[in-house]
Amino acid sequence: MRIFRNLVQALRGLGRNKANVFLMTLGVAVGIASLTVIVAIGEGTRAKVLDRIAGFGFGPESFSIYAGSGRLFFRKAQMPTNMSFQDVEDVASLPTVRHVMPRQRKRLRAVYRKNSTSTRIYGVTPLWEIIRAWPIVDGKFFDDRDMDRKSKVAVLGATPVKNLFPPGEDPLGKSVRMGNVFFKVVGLLEEKGLTESGYDPDNRVLIPISTSVARLTHEAHLHSIKVQAMSPEVVDETMEATRQILRRNHNLSPITSDDFRFVTPTGIMEWITEQKQAMNRMLILISTVSLLVGGIVIMNIMLVSIRERIHEIGVRRCFGARRSDITQQFLFESVFVSMLGGIVGTIFGVVVSLVLKRTDFIPAQITWEPFVLAALFSGAVGLVFGIQPARKAANWSPEETIR
Amino acid sequence: MSLIHLEDVKKSYTSIGMTTEVLKGVTLKISEGEYVAIIGPSGAGKSTLMSIMGCLGRPTSGSYYLDGELVDQMNDKQLSGVRNEKIGFVFQAFHLLAGVSAFDNVYLPLVYCRKTPADARDRVREILAKVGLSERMNHSPGKLSGGEQQRVTIARALVNQPKIVLADEPTGNLDSITGKEIMAIFDRLNAEGNTIILITHDPEVAARAHRTIRIKDGLIESDEKNENFPEFGSGAEGTRA
Ligand SMILES: Nc1ncnc2c1ncn2[C@@H]1O[C@H](COP(=O)(O)OP(=O)(O)O)[C@@H](O)[C@H]1O
Ligand SMILES: [Mg+2]
Repeated sequence: MRIFRNLVQALRGLGRNKANVFLMTLGVAVGIASLTVIVAIGEGTRAKVLDRIAGFGFGPESFSIYAGSGRLFFRKAQMPTNMSFQDVEDVASLPTVRHVMPRQRKRLRAVYRKNSTSTRIYGVTPLWEIIRAWPIVDGKFFDDRDMDRKSKVAVLGATPVKNLFPPGEDPLGKSVRMGNVFFKVVGLLEEKGLTESGYDPDNRVLIPISTSVARLTHEAHLHSIKVQAMSPEVVDETMEATRQILRRNHNLSPITSDDFRFVTPTGIMEWITEQKQAMNRMLILISTVSLLVGGIVIMNIMLVSIRERIHEIGVRRCFGARRSDITQQFLFESVFVSMLGGIVGTIFGVVVSLVLKRTDFIPAQITWEPFVLAALFSGAVGLVFGIQPARKAANWSPEETIR
Repeated sequence: MSLIHLEDVKKSYTSIGMTTEVLKGVTLKISEGEYVAIIGPSGAGKSTLMSIMGCLGRPTSGSYYLDGELVDQMNDKQLSGVRNEKIGFVFQAFHLLAGVSAFDNVYLPLVYCRKTPADARDRVREILAKVGLSERMNHSPGKLSGGEQQRVTIARALVNQPKIVLADEPTGNLDSITGKEIMAIFDRLNAEGNTIILITHDPEVAARAHRTIRIKDGLIESDEKNENFPEFGSGAEGTRA
């Protein structure tokens, strides 16, 4: 087959022009390597975020209602003051609801002797332990009696423990001041570690919400309500019923939008999907640019190369090479070099991704996508950017090229 | 029937708006088995004539029949086929592929033939042996002397068994002793029946041919058989054409 003979000529031609091969391969490899790394980081981030969500024990049967309009954890306006214990009571009376937990939240400095740290104080009920399924590593969670008595007791996350107590000192039973109130430490939470976005879930202190209302915030309105439905199937109807209750309790007219917002596992997943799509668009942009650069490198070097090899082209034409033979030969060269760049780039990208994965600093996950992408795109780049030089080489008349 | 038949062939080049007529109406017939020298001063149009005969370029006007076929109207694919099958070129500047072994240089026409013959590699070895290069066929042109390089180009010209060997000043880059060795090869090839057209401005080289065509200013000034070889006598036909 003539086409195979041209392929052989192309490969031998590349063997005689190693410097050009090196440059062109490098041009494509850089693009493909960055593509591979970006895909790996994207996949790694996604996987880790999913891990974290699972780790939060945010099961498919639960959802939260946050005061204030907006989306998920992003509040649009000032926090309204009308989410109340009445809302909690009414939602709790719905037949599809298993647990309801009100929550207050306040950012405060916590002080122990000479040490102080800024932390988030959450007023919650003993149900927190059940709903969040966050293990206590030492001591115990407060109970209903503490709620009734408005006891000054606190459960500490790992971050305030680290910031307040010298290593080796047992925080249990110690007295920590928050605002003007001294709280006795009764329990310690298991450490979760920083999330991808840099959020520190361990920087928290839990106190009975009755204590919070009476002694800390001196306000009765809530930051959020956490609801656990009977089963995942009834979540949608429960949310709708909850919406109606809250709208009625808050005296919202039919044309006013909700002054609260739902946070659900599906909502978070959707948000992540959107984030991923945004990242994919970025990815496409970056890879397009880098492949374009690789392509332009190929085109320019091929243009220089055919000029250097104009004599070779002439000789081939003298001894029977058709225009199509010359076109094929040079196209094979550019496609081969480009695919070589794709392979080298993928290998390089995978190595970098593995190193990143090891550092535990940037998440990275190797998937099959970059391989397929690299093969497809690098071949296409060689073809698209090789066609012009190849045709140019073929269109020189043999007479001119041999002079 | 003539192998080559040029009828009032003209060729002009246009560059930067200026048109120069290089061939001003050449009519010429060459038969199979002839040994023809084309001589003339530098710039007379000899190489231009050769590139037309070798189907490297088309005449501006006139017709060219090669082996009975009208070449002027052929497309690139057909012309490439003609160059591959019917013509073997030998150049003054050798025009070998740099960095490619003598063997692969000679093999080149077989890359582009319609169907690579089964015995292609044997053929290459055989032809290299014929020009006395068996020992050096793995050397690239850079490692060969001028005479050896010219032997490689002759082998390359012959490997696909062409109808015509076209040689443009084949001894121009060689010293006189090497030149004589190369000419001896051409003599032998003609004796074996190959048609040879030789461009030169060395009268001694031209004298080895059997017919001499003198070109001047794009026209044939004279066309005569060489007295030394009256027994061939093929020149007469060409003169009257
Ligand atoms: N491609 C070209 N463009 C313009 N002029 C050319 C071209 N090829 C040849 N010529 C001109 O045609 C004339 C004849 O050239 P050539 O056939 O090479 O002569 P010779 O081989 O007899 O020395 C020269 O004056 C040369 O400059
Ligand atoms: Mg010349």
